[in-house]
Amino acid sequence: MATDLHLTPDELELWAQGLLSAGRTMHLADCAECRVAAERERKLFLELAQLPRFAPEAGFVDRVLAKVRIPTPSGDYRV
Amino acid sequence: MFSLIYRMVRDRALAEDLAQETFVKVLNGIRSYRPEFKFSSWIFKIANNAAIDHLRRKELDTLSLDGSPLAATPDESEATALQVGARQESPLDEVEARELGGAIERAIGRLRPEYRACILLRHVEGYSYEEIARTLDLPLGTVKTYIHRARNELRHYLEDRRE
Repeated sequence: MATDLHLTPDELELWAQGLLSAGRTMHLADCAECRVAAERERKLFLELAQLPRFAPEAGFVDRVLAKVRIPTPSGDYRV
Repeated sequence: MFSLIYRMVRDRALAEDLAQETFVKVLNGIRSYRPEFKFSSWIFKIANNAAIDHLRRKELDTLSLDGSPLAATPDESEATALQVGARQESPLDEVEARELGGAIERAIGRLRPEYRACILLRHVEGYSYEEIARTLDLPLGTVKTYIHRARNELRHYLEDRRE
């Protein structure tokens, strides 16, 4: 692909992940507009990557299992 | 999965209830699981549906001209009656954002639920676009559009905050 074409949103995402081809990455050296867009993309990706994971309160598994129907040998379910 | 639900509904106690409901559905409906579907995607699909269903019910209550049908008093009716205009950040949003960790969480909370689910699956759970499309039963092009729009909105919210 020609290096004078602006990066597409997909390409900006690839760049932010370090996955854009060298050929297309060269475009950034010559295009201030795409450099700004790429930096904004990378900044957002960094913020999103730092989002923590949350866990439910202790006893969650017990509360779930208390509501699950457990099959019995007779084919019925026990709650 | 709990993180997804929590960020979708932005209320820890409610997220616990919906996560519980999700796992009960998963375990009780394990026989309907199709192995060609990734197991975690199946769980996320049920979790996301539970969260979206809740948000839709909440939206219906909020958008009623006369207030929520569940309102027991005139004050409750007034509080849930049609709200016109752009969505403004409420004091409750502020509290939720603090609990959830700051500006990026607040910005995510302002996204449409469909965008929010896509961006969380992509950036928190690390799903590919194809996996998100399968999990949410959406065309691949729609997922890409949602994620690109969501990122644009997030950037705008975050830049507004910095200015």
